[in-house]
Amino acid sequence: MRDSVKRKIKNFLGQSGIHLFLILVSVSCIFPLLWMIGSALKTQQTVFSDMRLFPAQPHWENFYTAWVEGGFGIYFFNSVFYTVTVVAGIVFISSLAAYAFSRLEFPGKNFFFLMFLVAMMIPLPGSFVPLYVLLVKLHLVNTRIGYILAMINVGLSLSIFLLKTFFDKLPKDLEDAGRIDGCSKFGIYWHVALPMARPALAVVIIFNALNVWNEYILAMLIFSSKSLMPLQRGLMVFQGAHITQYPLLMAGITITVLPIILIYLFMQRHIISGLTAGAIRG
Amino acid sequence: MGIFKHLLDKRLLTLVSFLLIAACLSGCAERDRQKPEVLVWHWMTDRDPAFEELTERYKNQTGVKVKFELYAPSDAYSQKVIAAAQAGTLPDIFSILGERRIFASFIIAGHITCLTSQMNADNNAWRNELFSNALAVNEFSTANQYGVKAGIYGVPLDTMNIQLLYNKDLFKKAGLDPDLPPVSWQEFIEAGRALTAAGIPGLVSGWGEIWMIDCFASNLAWNLMGKDKIIATIKGEVPYTDPDWITVLSLFKEMADTGMLAKGMITMVNKDAEQAFANNRAAFAFNGSWCVNVYRGMNPNLNYATMMFPRLSDEHPVVIWGGAGASFMVNQRSNNKEKAIEFLKWITAKQQQVYLAQTTNNLPSNKDSLSAIAPSLRQFADDMDKTVHPSLLPAGEHPLVIEAFDKGIQSIIIGESSPREIAERVQRVKDRERR
Repeated sequence: MRDSVKRKIKNFLGQSGIHLFLILVSVSCIFPLLWMIGSALKTQQTVFSDMRLFPAQPHWENFYTAWVEGGFGIYFFNSVFYTVTVVAGIVFISSLAAYAFSRLEFPGKNFFFLMFLVAMMIPLPGSFVPLYVLLVKLHLVNTRIGYILAMINVGLSLSIFLLKTFFDKLPKDLEDAGRIDGCSKFGIYWHVALPMARPALAVVIIFNALNVWNEYILAMLIFSSKSLMPLQRGLMVFQGAHITQYPLLMAGITITVLPIILIYLFMQRHIISGLTAGAIRG
Repeated sequence: MGIFKHLLDKRLLTLVSFLLIAACLSGCAERDRQKPEVLVWHWMTDRDPAFEELTERYKNQTGVKVKFELYAPSDAYSQKVIAAAQAGTLPDIFSILGERRIFASFIIAGHITCLTSQMNADNNAWRNELFSNALAVNEFSTANQYGVKAGIYGVPLDTMNIQLLYNKDLFKKAGLDPDLPPVSWQEFIEAGRALTAAGIPGLVSGWGEIWMIDCFASNLAWNLMGKDKIIATIKGEVPYTDPDWITVLSLFKEMADTGMLAKGMITMVNKDAEQAFANNRAAFAFNGSWCVNVYRGMNPNLNYATMMFPRLSDEHPVVIWGGAGASFMVNQRSNNKEKAIEFLKWITAKQQQVYLAQTTNNLPSNKDSLSAIAPSLRQFADDMDKTVHPSLLPAGEHPLVIEAFDKGIQSIIIGESSPREIAERVQRVKDRERR
C-alpha cells in the first residue's frame, strides 16, 4: 500500500516536473509572438516606455497603416505565388530526382548525388554574384521566372537528400507488387513510392515554404521592380538607416507570419497522420 | 507510354498544368510604362518618399524622368551593387557603402566617373556650394595609397557629425546648470560625478559597435596630441605605448571609475543607446546628427542640446568625427552620364537641400541651405567646420590595429585590463602587421 502511494507521488512529481518544463518551453516560444502583437498595438513613443505586454489603449489601426504604407497587397500576392510555385516545382523535381537516385542505376549516380550534397554546403550569399551574372546573361533578371528558377535551385539539394534517404528505407516489396500489376517505372513512382513518402514530402513542403516565404535578399538582388517583390520588401519600408517604426514593423511582421503559421498548423496534421500511418504499416 | 499514360492521372495533370500556367504567368519581364532616363539605386528607406517628391519636381522642371529604386538594408544593397558591377548592369547613379578601399576599387575598375571638371567649372561653382569636409570624403588626393587618379568621384547628398548631447532636465535634477554644459574634460568628469551621486546614469552610447568607441577615442587623441602625431603613429614612427596614447586610454578608465558610464554600454548597440537617452535614462549621449530624427520619433518632448566635445588640451584644436553622410556616384559606363550629373547638381542645390533637410532631418551638404533648417539640426550643422574623418588622413591604420585598440578600451571599461596593458597589446598587433 505504502509502496503504491510512494510510486504515485513519485509519478506525480515526475509528471509535474515534465509538464512544468514543457510549459516553460511553450511560454518561451509564445512570448516573442505575444510581444510582437503587443508592440504592434503601441505607438512609436509608447513602444519604448510602456512595458506592458498589451497596451491599455491598443492601436488596431497600425495593422491597416502597415498594410497600406507597406504596400502589402501586391507583395502578399507575389509571396503566395512564389511560395506555391517554388514549392510545387521543388516537390516535383526533387521527388523525381530522389527516386531516381534511390532506385535507378545509371553512370555517375554517386558523383551527381555528391554534387547535390556539395551544393548544400554553399551558403546562399556565396553564390549571389555568379547567380546574378548568370541570370543577366539569360535575360532573366527582373522576371518572376528568374526568381522562381533560382529559388527552386536553392531548395533542391536538401529536398533531394531528404527524399532519397526516405525512399532508400521504403520496402521494395510494394513496388514489386506494382510491377507485377503492370506499372511502369514512372507509375510505380507516382502510385506507390510518392504516396508512401507523404511524411517526407510534408517536411520538404514546410521547410521550403518557410524558406521562400521569408526570403528577401535574393529577391532584392534579382528584382528591380517593386511590383515583383515579395512580402518582406514591405517590411523594409519601416526600417530606415537610423529610424525604425517599431509598431508598424511589428504589425507588418504579424501580417507576414500569419499565413506561414496556418500552413505549418495544416501541414503538421499531415506529418502526424503520415508518421502514424508509417508506424501502423511497419 | 510511361509518363504520358500517367498524364491522364488527375493529380499529375493538376500539378503539371499549374506549373505550366505559373511558368507562363511568370515568364514576362516587368516592363515600365515609361523607362526612366536616369536610374538611381539607394538604400535610404526613410528618405524614399522625399526622393519620390523630388523626382516629380525635377520632371516638371526639366522633363527628365529620374527613378529612385530602393534596396534595403544596406548590407543587401552593397551585395546588389557588387553583383551589378560584375555583371555590368550598374544604374546611372549609385552609392558605394563601406570602406574607402572598396570605393577605390570601383574607381580603378572603371565604374565611377571623375567629377572634378564639373565641380571646378564656372569658377568652382558646384564645389563651393558644398561642405568641403563632405566633399573631401569623395576626393582622392595625388599619390593616395590606393593608386587612384586624383579627383572627386562622388557627390555628398547630406552630411553628418558625431557629438556629445546632454539632457537638460536631468542636468537640473542633478543640480547642474542646464545652460552651462561642461567645456573641459575635468568639468565633464565632475558633471559625471554629480550625476552618479544623484543616481542618474551619465553617458550612454552604442559602444557595443566598436566604431563608436573609435570615434570617441579619436576625438580625444586629436585634441591631446594633434594630427601630426596621429599620422606618425599610423606610419609606425610613434608607438601606441607613447604616454599620450596611454593617457587617451586612461580617460576611459577615468570615466568608468567615476561610474558615469551607463550600465552595459560596451555591449550596447546604438539603437538601444538612443532609446535610453530618448527616455531620460541617461544624461549624456554620444551620437550622430541623425539622432535628431530618432529622438523626435521616440520622445518629441526630450529636452536636450548638443555640446562641444570637452577640451583636454589647449595645444591642439578640439575636433569631432564627421563628413559626408550619403554620397552618390555616377556610372562611368552610363549612356545618360550627362543627365545623371545634371540631376546631382540639381539635387544638391539649395532649394532641394532645404527640402531634404526639412523632410528627413539630415544635415544638408549644401552650405547655403543651413538657414532654413530646424534649430536642433542647426546645432550640429554649426560645428561642421570642426569635423575630421580618419579616411581623409594621408595614411590609414590597419583594421586589426583599430580593432585591438577599440576592443582594448572595452576591456579597460570592464576593468579587465589596464591602459598600459592595452597599449602594449595594440603595439604588438601593430608590429605584427607592419612585418
